[in-house]
Amino acid sequence: MTLAGWTNFPALVEFGKIGFVNMLAFRLRYYTGILTYFINVTVYYFIWRAIYAADPGFAGLSFDEMLTYVSIAWIIRSLYFNNIDVQISQEIIEGKITSALLKPIDLQAATLARALGESVFRLIMLTIPSAMVLFAVYRLHLPANSLAFAQFSLALLGSILLVSAINFIVGGFAVKMKSILGLLRAKFYVMDLLSGLIVPISIFPSPFRELSEWLPFQHIVYTPLMLYLGKLSGAEAWLALGVTWVWVFALIATGSIFWKSMTKHMTIHGG
Amino acid sequence: MPPVVEVENLVKDFRTFDRREGVWGAIQDLYSRRYRNFRAVDNVSFSIGQGEMVGYIGPNGAGKSTSIKMLTGILVPSSGRIAANGFSPWRERTRYARTIGVVFGQRTQLWWDIGVVESFRLLQKIYEIPQAEYEHRLSKFDEVLELKRYLHTPVRKLSLGERMRCDVAAALLHNPPLLFLDEPTIGLDIVAKESIRTFLKEVNRENGTTMLLTTHDLSDIEELCHRLMIIDHGRVLYDGGLPELKRMLWEESTLKVDLRDRDQAAQLAVFSMEGVGVERVDELSYRLRFRREEVQPAELIRRIVNEVQVLDLTMEEQPIEEVVRRIYTGEALHDDAHGTPENARP
Repeated sequence: MTLAGWTNFPALVEFGKIGFVNMLAFRLRYYTGILTYFINVTVYYFIWRAIYAADPGFAGLSFDEMLTYVSIAWIIRSLYFNNIDVQISQEIIEGKITSALLKPIDLQAATLARALGESVFRLIMLTIPSAMVLFAVYRLHLPANSLAFAQFSLALLGSILLVSAINFIVGGFAVKMKSILGLLRAKFYVMDLLSGLIVPISIFPSPFRELSEWLPFQHIVYTPLMLYLGKLSGAEAWLALGVTWVWVFALIATGSIFWKSMTKHMTIHGG
Repeated sequence: MPPVVEVENLVKDFRTFDRREGVWGAIQDLYSRRYRNFRAVDNVSFSIGQGEMVGYIGPNGAGKSTSIKMLTGILVPSSGRIAANGFSPWRERTRYARTIGVVFGQRTQLWWDIGVVESFRLLQKIYEIPQAEYEHRLSKFDEVLELKRYLHTPVRKLSLGERMRCDVAAALLHNPPLLFLDEPTIGLDIVAKESIRTFLKEVNRENGTTMLLTTHDLSDIEELCHRLMIIDHGRVLYDGGLPELKRMLWEESTLKVDLRDRDQAAQLAVFSMEGVGVERVDELSYRLRFRREEVQPAELIRRIVNEVQVLDLTMEEQPIEEVVRRIYTGEALHDDAHGTPENARP
């Protein structure tokens, strides 16, 4: 992995700004987005209420904790979510990727910068408003303590980068495939499930729970949430945070190597 | 001075798979595919010196764009060697990209959603162009291309002519010593074409920028390029100057003669004895055809002027379109064509 093209920070900041500004075009989607997220959480509210009525000690979490888990999970999803896998695969399939390849800047670095810019926009337009609505309507826990909140925030930055790094790799597969829709959709559901967005990892049945220990996905939602709720503390918390960031760097490095080998196979159509 | 671009035995093969016909064929294709090699660029070699403007022409599917893509580093050759600006384009793509400019007529290099000036500023950051240099160059470009009027419009709202002017400016913002243009004038009106040609000529003259351009508009070549390469079926058929090409392919020359009065026709007919074909166009004008090997044009003209009363004499140049049409259709230069000059590569 070379650093050529990674060290030009002013250019990367500019890509971040573009990510931010381009989101403005979709303003309306964010107003409806807040509503969608509220409805999602409400559905889970009734499901979990039914489950907790039958078993009040379910999964080692109280009902309020579970409701907090679900709500915060959706709130942070609004932050880390991005479409760069779809964007990159489209650019590859339509051949627009040439203009990115002709610039003396690392495509992955520029893409991650853009994704961060988007996330800043989402934070302001979607994450904070959704959080305000959900905290107003439901009885949600605040972070366990200020250290937990700090660790949660660091984990959250990690999950934005994790999602972006994974999406970058998945989108890159378009070089080898004529149609990538199936892969994109599979990734979408696998990520929602294995990140712990739909249910906490702790209630996965046995082989899946152990399996997800060894995968990066749980650090997208489950690890930040455990930090938020104070279920991970002390050395355990720092360890989880460390593992998250090791995954971040490992996946960015993998993406860089993967992209390099993909560009060798690239066939640019037309023109 | 060492060449700016050096290409040796460049080959690019694509593997395509043949689809079988029908439903049963489609099912068979799921299990075993029949692949076929298609050679888009076949053993191409050339070199380009500093400051040259070279036209790279050929019919659709000849391998022009594939060559350009390999030269710019976005496509990996199957075999052969490229050295451009001292780099191996695809191996050192990121560093090489700093030293070249690329314009694709069919595809903008600008960011679609943002204003032109934002694209330029982003390029300034990417190429790390100092502010003073950036401003100086932009105002310079504005003189010929008149960019200022639409600098704040998003790229997607520009007309094709405006977009191309911006694209050409964007490719030269970091003053690269080497510029590739893939059909830069495609679909443009005459004003936009002229403005882009003038601009390219000026950049070449002032900065010694080396340029390689592909085009289907042969007037681009006539106006810009001292040298042209013709490629077809992945092979270079001709590499040299335009006048030399015309001379080589057109052994037969024509001279149009306008007579003062009808009676002069008899005088003119005398020349048909000497290996010159005399054709009547109308009452007062005739066309003489002759082979340059047999008849010296200067000598012929001198004699006509002495012996016949003429109003006007015109040596008729073969239009480049006609020359190129003959090459593309295989009437000339191809190995299997009749009357092929063997010294097609001077």
